[in-house]
Amino acid sequence: MFTNKFIKLLCISFTILPFGQSIAQDNDGPSFEDLLNGFNDPTRWLTYSGDYSGRRHSPLTQITLNNVDQLRPVWTFQTGTTTRGRGFETTPLLDNGVLYVTGSNNYAWALDARTGRAFWRYRRNLPDDLTYGASAPVNRGFGMLGNQLFMVTLDAHLMSFDRRTGDVLWERELADYRIGYAATLAPLVLDNKVIVGISGGEYQTRGFIDAFDPISGERIWRFNTVPGPGEPGSETWPDDPAVLATGGGGTWMNGSYDSDLNLIYWGVGNPNPDYYDENRPGDNLYTDSIVALDANTGELRWHYQFTPHDVNDWDSNHMPVLANIDWEGESRRVVMVGNRNGFFYVLDRVTGEFLLGEPFTATTWAREIGSDGRPIILNDGSQGCLPDPWGSTNFYPPSFYPGLDLFILTARETCATYVPEEPANIQGQSNFGGTVFIDAEKGYGALRALDVHTGELEWEFTYPSPTFGGVMTTASGLAFAGDHEGNFMAFNAETGENLWHYQTGSRIWGAAAITYMLDGRQYVLIPSGTTLQAFAL
Amino acid sequence: MINNHKFVISLNAFLVLIILAVNAHSQAVNPLESDPRAARLGGSIFRAQCATCHGADAKGISTLDAPDLTMSWVERQLSEEEVFQTIREGIPGSIMPPHTFNDTEVWMLVSFLKSVAEVGTTNQIAGNSDRGARLFSSNCSRCHRVDGKGGSLGPELSNITGRRSQDALVRSIRNPSANITRLYKPISFITVGNESVQGTIKSEDAFSIQLMDSNQVLRGFSKLDLRELRREEQSLMPSFTESSLSDSDVNDLLSYLQSSRSP
Repeated sequence: MFTNKFIKLLCISFTILPFGQSIAQDNDGPSFEDLLNGFNDPTRWLTYSGDYSGRRHSPLTQITLNNVDQLRPVWTFQTGTTTRGRGFETTPLLDNGVLYVTGSNNYAWALDARTGRAFWRYRRNLPDDLTYGASAPVNRGFGMLGNQLFMVTLDAHLMSFDRRTGDVLWERELADYRIGYAATLAPLVLDNKVIVGISGGEYQTRGFIDAFDPISGERIWRFNTVPGPGEPGSETWPDDPAVLATGGGGTWMNGSYDSDLNLIYWGVGNPNPDYYDENRPGDNLYTDSIVALDANTGELRWHYQFTPHDVNDWDSNHMPVLANIDWEGESRRVVMVGNRNGFFYVLDRVTGEFLLGEPFTATTWAREIGSDGRPIILNDGSQGCLPDPWGSTNFYPPSFYPGLDLFILTARETCATYVPEEPANIQGQSNFGGTVFIDAEKGYGALRALDVHTGELEWEFTYPSPTFGGVMTTASGLAFAGDHEGNFMAFNAETGENLWHYQTGSRIWGAAAITYMLDGRQYVLIPSGTTLQAFAL
Repeated sequence: MINNHKFVISLNAFLVLIILAVNAHSQAVNPLESDPRAARLGGSIFRAQCATCHGADAKGISTLDAPDLTMSWVERQLSEEEVFQTIREGIPGSIMPPHTFNDTEVWMLVSFLKSVAEVGTTNQIAGNSDRGARLFSSNCSRCHRVDGKGGSLGPELSNITGRRSQDALVRSIRNPSANITRLYKPISFITVGNESVQGTIKSEDAFSIQLMDSNQVLRGFSKLDLRELRREEQSLMPSFTESSLSDSDVNDLLSYLQSSRSP
């Protein structure tokens, strides 16, 4: 294997590839070692966050603080499919000059990364009676291993494709979509495992995280996010198997991975029903938590619950961001989360120990997080505004900038009043359990940079409306972000100064930029509306 | 959970009863029209299935391009059958999807939407419309358009009485700042060229602003070129107190507007 790779590298080193001659450097596609290598090869973007850490921080430096104002559009790809009420939320993967892109309504494409032209297209025939998948027909991206691509579907299946042709290799049902299940995330691919989660926490569902064998498509393990009767965590629910079987806890955003600890870190969503809690007293584990699972077995190593007994739909489906930082004089392996409940958290990712929890929005529900890691409630809703159900931030990716030690995220300042109402609990129908009144006049968005040691706000840039765009940073000192009004922007990551913006024509919703080198040129890509747009100097 | 079971049972029982009443698909007339429970149950369905885009109060969410459904009836002159079909079929080419609710559920939604609908003025307004036309010309037409004539700084008012109640219109005339609709929010600033600009905001992002200025010209500005930017709470429309327009004047004015054609 070493010999083969060495010869291939030699061939590449002495071969000048003219434009358009996309000679495969490695027809076998990326290995697990390549995925682990992450940003060390910036000609690729092989996983949702670019590497397993979830930091979305690229080492590329061609685009700088001084020249970013010369960034220009290079190409636009029109997907031809719209997303009802949501956004184009995907993160494309790049390997060997080819972009692998999923779209809304389970469209997918392989694109020429130089021109945006399609090599192949795929569209899944979806059933007419989709449940959650009809209300959020989105997809956040492929997973890739070797010549296989992996995509989840709105009718709750996991599919494998041949990346060269778009041909379907296999598909497996994750759950019965007619109950309310759907799948929207980008699979997390490890060594001989494809790990996925499920959507539909507003329905009569029970969340889970599954690991599949990439070759056979057989399931290796399942972790249920709501325990069964008698299992650890069931004491935080009523003693009623029917409640546990429909407790919600979706897992619709993929996780991060620490190869040294062999742990995956994954966020869990809201309990069902969202706002009405009469039938589910207790903390309702593991809803609104982060769970650390053994990647080989799916066994729970530790958990931390951000919002015990949630009644505000504050799913904790965020990208857990891994870093090793100095913490009170010693190096700590931490996981960081900017949570929908308005608090920024730092946890020890070996043990789950709570290290820090500080608010990053003006409107919060807790006065503070106590030393025991539990919130001290300030406002249960009776004191006026709470963050709305879309939260103080959401699943769209934040970015961690090492060295500056800044956690940069898109914050939403909103004002909502919750009125619970007993729901009907009908299979296949959403089950919010109440009404939320949002004062739109009081809403706005902001890009905010937090000191990860204290949670203090270092800088912010405000937007006219609550925003759903993600963040990417580059080692040249830049932060890229998108807003609800359609601007794709670059900022000085240290100061927050806006350096460049481009009006894409549609809101940037749920997506964050990626960047890569191709033909000696640094590209930056952002999905917006029904388009994927590429920029370069 | 026991309570939930009871609720499901009672809801199902009610659905059975109500389905018996709905004996044909897509009827032109809402078979549940006279049943007050239909609007209540329709409200539950609406809040669970529709509120994400249209808002819990059905007034729409502009950033999602989801319209204010309380205004749809009068603004688009929709019939109940058309609302039924829109819920069932969706709006092709838009983000409004088709739905698989059964007929009874759709009629419940129609009943709910009817219950929260803004209603126009149904009675004949007692006033002198000729005199109202003169009052309109001298006080209103610079900014408002009726029967194809007038300005555009404020909303088109042709047959506005068909879309708003008489009380609501009187309130808008007496105190226009109390409720300024989205496309008519006032703003003022000074440009880099020292021009003082006043207008109504049509659109805005972090870097630019699009407005109609007080001369009724559409203009766009980079925010970097502006200073003293103020979002005014007072509408550009003056408040017409009784000293400037008596109750009798207002009735004349509304009588004139009632006589105008639909836009």
